[in-house]
Amino acid sequence: MIYISIIIGCILGAIIGMHTPVISYTYSSYLAIAIIAALDTVFGGITSVLKKNFDLKIFLSGFFGNAILSIALTYLGERLNVDIYLAAVVVFVGRMFTNLAIIRRYYVDKWTNKFEQMTFKVKETNSEDKK
Amino acid sequence: MKEKNIAIMLGVMCFLLTVGICVQVRTVTSNASKMGRTYAENELRDSVLKWKEKYDLAYQKLETKEVKLEKLRETVSTSSESSETAKADLEKNNMALGYSEVIGPGITIILKDGELNSNKLDVSSYLVHYSDLVEVINALKNAGAEAISVNGQRIVNTTAISCAGNIIRVNNEKVGVPFVINAIGSKEKLYGALTMLGGYIDKLKDDGVDVDITQQNSITIPKYDGVYKYEYATKAE
Repeated sequence: MIYISIIIGCILGAIIGMHTPVISYTYSSYLAIAIIAALDTVFGGITSVLKKNFDLKIFLSGFFGNAILSIALTYLGERLNVDIYLAAVVVFVGRMFTNLAIIRRYYVDKWTNKFEQMTFKVKETNSEDKK
Repeated sequence: MKEKNIAIMLGVMCFLLTVGICVQVRTVTSNASKMGRTYAENELRDSVLKWKEKYDLAYQKLETKEVKLEKLRETVSTSSESSETAKADLEKNNMALGYSEVIGPGITIILKDGELNSNKLDVSSYLVHYSDLVEVINALKNAGAEAISVNGQRIVNTTAISCAGNIIRVNNEKVGVPFVINAIGSKEKLYGALTMLGGYIDKLKDDGVDVDITQQNSITIPKYDGVYKYEYATKAE
């Protein structure tokens, strides 16, 4: 259910994104950092859904708050001539990997459990046949 | 119900995210060729700024040295009473050489490239060429101008005006449009001589160059920054 809606959202977004006007190159660095922040929030959202502690308010505030904060930091860095956006990229991508690891573990565990149950059932039926 | 809400929310977020990614990718690809240029431009700009700083520093040194020289001259001329006339001579000579800032009535001519007009046979006629500057300065000298400057460059007896692509060199310094020519002299005479029918300004206007002449009550003309060098000429006895 969740994955279907994510895929539909991605496809719709790709179709509309192909037809929207291009933004000015000056602002593209801000958009890039906002994309990284939003991507991090989406992965965080999926993780929290799997952990069953998803909170809509936290998710929404994280989505927009992180994006705006990272844009502000990038702007500040440009003023100060320091590449602060690198710090934001490191933090967000690091968190993305952590979240991805949690998601991976969840599904690996789920599938190994299923597989073990199946083999257990097969063994049971085999032993019943022998009797 | 709750899961449905979560799914819709995540879907909307992913929608926003992919729109952003697509816009970003398209922006970057459409600017890929420009990006390299901006990097090169930034580097060039950096080096220009560095050279400008060096130039300013050297210029400041020159100015302090000139102030020192001026002081030395003054002490020399004041120390001996008989050199009072020498001091007056020096001031006069400095003015003649363009080594002192001068002020007085005169006219200001502003030459600008005109609008591109397809009616003209010669497409470059509406541009200000270096020969136009030479002609205008010549006309000013003819009309009795005592001091002339082009965009802050004093015209002295060693001044050369030459063409360097889309800019003009005056005293080996680059100047560009708009050319502001200041001349000190009798403003009525200068104005009359420059604006006479069949004169060079008239021809420039005909060619489509944007010309603006104003009479001024007080013009300041800066001094000449360069140095006169005499390598071959020596005083004949």
